[in-house]
Amino acid sequence: MVRMLGMVAYLEVHGPTPVATLAEHFGVTEQRASSELWTLGMSGVPPYLPDECLDFDFDALDEGLAVLRDSQGVSQVRLSGQEAVALTGALATLIDAGTAPEGAAQVLRRIREAFGDVAPVTVLEGAEHVGTEIRDVLTAAIDGGSAVAIGYVDAQDRRTERTIEPHRLVAIDGVGYVECWCRRAEDYRTLRLSRIESAAALASEQTHGPSQEPGFALAAQYEATVVVARGARWAFEDIAGTSIVVDDETATVSFGVTDEDWAAARLMSVAPHLVSVAPQRLRDALARHADAVLAAQGA
Amino acid sequence: MSEVSAEQRRLNLMIALSRTRHRLTREQIRARVEGYDTVTPGASDEERQRADASFQRMFERDKDELRSMGIPLRTITDPVHQDDLGYRIDGDTAMPALDLSLQDAAVLALAVDYWAGKPLEADARHGFAKLISAIAHGESPALPFGGMSTTAGADAIAVLAAAVSDRQVVRFEYASASSPTRRRTVQPWGIVMRAGLDYLVGWDVDADAVRTFRLGRVQGSVRTVGEPEAFERPATLPLGGLDEESPDHVAVVAVRPEAGHALRRRGERVGAEDGWDLFRVRYRHADLVRAEVLALHGGARVVEPAELAASVAAHARAAREVARG
Repeated sequence: MVRMLGMVAYLEVHGPTPVATLAEHFGVTEQRASSELWTLGMSGVPPYLPDECLDFDFDALDEGLAVLRDSQGVSQVRLSGQEAVALTGALATLIDAGTAPEGAAQVLRRIREAFGDVAPVTVLEGAEHVGTEIRDVLTAAIDGGSAVAIGYVDAQDRRTERTIEPHRLVAIDGVGYVECWCRRAEDYRTLRLSRIESAAALASEQTHGPSQEPGFALAAQYEATVVVARGARWAFEDIAGTSIVVDDETATVSFGVTDEDWAAARLMSVAPHLVSVAPQRLRDALARHADAVLAAQGA
Repeated sequence: MSEVSAEQRRLNLMIALSRTRHRLTREQIRARVEGYDTVTPGASDEERQRADASFQRMFERDKDELRSMGIPLRTITDPVHQDDLGYRIDGDTAMPALDLSLQDAAVLALAVDYWAGKPLEADARHGFAKLISAIAHGESPALPFGGMSTTAGADAIAVLAAAVSDRQVVRFEYASASSPTRRRTVQPWGIVMRAGLDYLVGWDVDADAVRTFRLGRVQGSVRTVGEPEAFERPATLPLGGLDEESPDHVAVVAVRPEAGHALRRRGERVGAEDGWDLFRVRYRHADLVRAEVLALHGGARVVEPAELAASVAAHARAAREVARG
């Protein structure tokens, strides 16, 4: 029905339009578009006097041309609350993460005005700072198909100099990344924008096109089973492929470990709520991690 | 009557309810709007009951469908006969002219992609379809940008977004950072998103106060309770501590040379001590800074505040206990 109202809105603005064009615009077959236009033409309030129906030229419609003579005030409806949350939330998030294309802010402003009501979603500025100068170097290289030399600090806190071929800026859960070919790793990488300390444009042309695989395609090394107090279950709900079984007091969480250090760090963050950790291998990593922290903290 | 498709029936209903000056009762709707099961003359009681039940079911579904499209379909009670319900579509429901371009459509398509595989995807698609309705047909440019949402909180957002707009009370289990896990009953006022952390601001019915909830700490599913339009939303969302320019807590963290680069970038260097660099770091949630320090594998330690330092040590000790059995 959203699509049918959309066709009315399109015809109101653009006048007579071939059914084929409408079908393409709204992503349906010509047959479907035609049948929906007929349905529109039959709609109204009984006794369906001429001024109580949407008025189509049915002869033209038979010839494959949609001609709307009178829409009777029927048109596309405003965004619903959920639609506004989805679209404005995502757009504002892309903008804040530094991964929105030019013009996104204007689109966002116009949608907000169009929604009119008290916005059900507010997007606040994040703490991560993505320097515009770094972003500008990356977008210029994406557009120009060239490489960039960057200084980067990885998640394990190692600082490296690398040459990358940037393909796309993406926001994952509100955090900005660049998808690229990394010449140092000789592989595709998704690098966090806020961890790029410096970026310098290179004349060198890109040698690899964008990856067809989505990022984070790491294979799990082994399966972990962790029992935590029920109240700490949230700490595991965002791990992809996690299964959680809850009883009165505890939650039993199973997940694939792709990076042992990362998993140990996650367990540390809810340590007082841990009941048991398996297998031994993960317990050993957790013990090493805990010892290192205690040595540093001097307690 | 069966030749009238559900879509056509809903269109007819929408037109009829937009046209009416006062309101239409269920019986008026059934009689006037084409597509509903009417009772044929001479029908038996049983046939009549079946037709009645079928009409009620269809009408309920259509009403929900129109409301979920964002159409303000109001229930109007007769001032004299309170139980005689009528319906009307109020106000200006038409999408205003936005004058969007094909480039804008491509930007909006990114917002749809962001929710791929999440419950809000369908809403994003519908909203997209509405917004691009009047854009002249053409090829949208492919933009080298993208995004996706993978957090558990994103599942709760869809239910909460509907509950906020319908003004319907919600109930969920919540693990607060400071108090034990318990069930919360909340009038949802608004959703706040910031850099991957999503929040719900609303009136906590049991606490009788405004509360902010981190969606990542909502356990399991969010359920709606009671009827829509159950409360008023404030015109301005009280953001509490969320809207402050900068986070309100400050920690001093000692970082080993060549370590803690993320902390170094974010913080302000305030000196050195025994070969460690000292950084002043602003933060909003103590548990997130603690997790960051814990993750550095001894590459950093908290100097101030003392409670944060103590809680880092306590977490490490607890981890050691579990790891060593």
